[in-house]
Amino acid sequence: MIIYLRSGGKLHDLLKPDVDQYTRRVETHEGATLVEILGELGIPLVMVAFAFVDGKVRKLDYVPTDGDVITIQSPVAGG
Amino acid sequence: MNGFGGTILRINLETGEIKRTPTPEKFAREWMGARGFVAKTIYDEVPRDADPLGPENILIMAPGVLTGTFAPAGSKIGFGCISPATNGHADSNMGGHLGAEMKYAGYDMVVFERISPEPAYLYIDDDTIEIRSAGDYWGMGSLDLEKRMKDDLGEDFQIATIGPAGENGVVYSCITHDFGRQAGRCGVGAVMGSKKLKAIAIRGTKSIPVHDLPALTKSTYDIIQRTKTHPLMEPWQKYGTALFVGWSNEHGCFPSRNFQTTYHEGWEGISGEKLAEEILVTHKACFGCWINCGKYSRARIPGKPDIYVEGPEYETIALCGGSCGMTNIHDVAYANYLCDNLGLDTMSGGNTVGFAMECYEKGIITKDDLEGHELRWGNIDDFENLVRMIADRRGIGEVLSYGTKGAAERLGRGTLAFAHQAKGMEFSGYDTRWYSAQLLSYCTSDIGAHHNRSWAITADIEIGQDTPEGKAEVVIYLQHIRPLFDTWCCCRLFWGEVDVTAEEHVDTIGYLTGWDVTFEECMQISEKIWNLTRSHYLERNGGPGRQFDVAPARQLEEKVPSGPAKGQRVGVENFEFMLDDYYHNRGWDKNGHPTREVLEILGLPHVADNLEKVGLLGEPFVDGVPKVRGKRLKPKAM
Repeated sequence: MIIYLRSGGKLHDLLKPDVDQYTRRVETHEGATLVEILGELGIPLVMVAFAFVDGKVRKLDYVPTDGDVITIQSPVAGG
Repeated sequence: MNGFGGTILRINLETGEIKRTPTPEKFAREWMGARGFVAKTIYDEVPRDADPLGPENILIMAPGVLTGTFAPAGSKIGFGCISPATNGHADSNMGGHLGAEMKYAGYDMVVFERISPEPAYLYIDDDTIEIRSAGDYWGMGSLDLEKRMKDDLGEDFQIATIGPAGENGVVYSCITHDFGRQAGRCGVGAVMGSKKLKAIAIRGTKSIPVHDLPALTKSTYDIIQRTKTHPLMEPWQKYGTALFVGWSNEHGCFPSRNFQTTYHEGWEGISGEKLAEEILVTHKACFGCWINCGKYSRARIPGKPDIYVEGPEYETIALCGGSCGMTNIHDVAYANYLCDNLGLDTMSGGNTVGFAMECYEKGIITKDDLEGHELRWGNIDDFENLVRMIADRRGIGEVLSYGTKGAAERLGRGTLAFAHQAKGMEFSGYDTRWYSAQLLSYCTSDIGAHHNRSWAITADIEIGQDTPEGKAEVVIYLQHIRPLFDTWCCCRLFWGEVDVTAEEHVDTIGYLTGWDVTFEECMQISEKIWNLTRSHYLERNGGPGRQFDVAPARQLEEKVPSGPAKGQRVGVENFEFMLDDYYHNRGWDKNGHPTREVLEILGLPHVADNLEKVGLLGEPFVDGVPKVRGKRLKPKAM
């Protein structure tokens, strides 16, 4: 199945976007958690504060479904 | 002059004299605004032995070069003085709309001198400037007064106020604006109160001259188009900074019960998600911002009136929430409201209440000190009783009005070990026992512990949490780039989160002013300001400087007892290694004193002369100071 991971800031370079400036297309298997998917992409889990799917915050044990668009964000401080 | 309002105001509150002088372009170019204007002016003008709450201290209000312009979130305005919390340079800034309004009235800096004989407020309506009586306003809460003054003067005035804590000289009093934006740190509200200045009201209807309006418009349009579809916009808009409460707990840097541990049992009840589910009313933005990270909330607590407050954001949740043992988002929002209306910084205020709760737990503070009340972890009634005592400086509230360091010095009994402060200003909402670069950031900060001087948590992860090596250079880099935004006066979030580069901000300055300015020049200005404020601190407090860059014993020696960081501590040896490395990489000597060579590189030879006169100039480096100070590791964004 295909999912789309999106990010910016510190995670931008680690994500290596290929669809547009912020988005990477990822082929993965059903039942895989975000932990597994991010691990396969070489993105350090400690640098991912949370995932954001359909307007909701998800933990990294989230199991994506086909076509999911998932934003991941690194920890930051306020402005 | 392009990019600025054009006029500096000096207001003698004692005599009522008001002086207007044109803003010198050389001054603007060399110091850029807010933090820079403050550093230069207080260094030049405030006697070294001036009491921070006495007539010789000055209070400065200054926006920056980007305030009120097309720059993303060019909303900020700085307040500065000598801090009553640290006895050193203070600058603290707020968002909202006050800074833009001040530039539209034509002013780049207001310097308040001396002390008003009666409570007063400053009224600015473009060219009309008056010092008006605030007799009817004295004693009011910050938020209550802002509403009252909007009713009295009109909605289109931008208002800044202090609360009772500022009137009474609590050293962590803040200045409030826009019903929830604060110049919160360094006790700037206490200095405003010491001058009997209760409020500032400004309406400006002019514009800011721009050097190249077509280029500025195009650049801004491109940034808007690019960022409005940025993937990180939506989570920021929905949750704001509170979203990081979960990560901070899961990675062992969230302060729980006065930093006793770093994983807060029950954090889910005070998380960003809980805020959005239970108390969020609407989103709120500062001038020129399309992120809208501000959250306007309603707290409902049985037996108390419903209250509305902007927040709580991450720092308030960490310090009024976790550090005071709270697990209910309504309680944290109510605590936020209490601090705001009383005029207390939620960061130092929450931190100080948490410190007092630990003192109560240990029997150092008792019910007799609390007018018969208790001071239990997580109890909002106890929190309310204590912050009202602090704002009024009643009983134990007088002791705690000096902050955790001042209170520990008065209480004794080993309490300094768990007073989480540096140079007299309290930690932000991050425990550092697994994050040594953040500890170095706090302890070397020129204004006392504050994450907006250097937030090094992710740098710690990238470099390695178990090593002290390589931390100093990144801290120095962050101490130059993060406060640069407080000098330009725009919010860091566009830079840190949605990929607007610092270089793009520099381009904006060029379009605005016509200056041929570079990022490297701006970073050197930031380094110059840092060396000036360090030197100023030494001139006021003596030496050796190293004695002031100290960490709380708990962070150095006590192992984290639970959670993901269990067993971690920084250790004295590691801290001293980082401090040596830090001084060396700054071009300072082993005592933490700037050397003549580095001060001359930065255009501050007179500061070297002044340090030499008082025996505090750094010993010369045998091999010369490092050519590049703090740039070996240039982290992306934060």
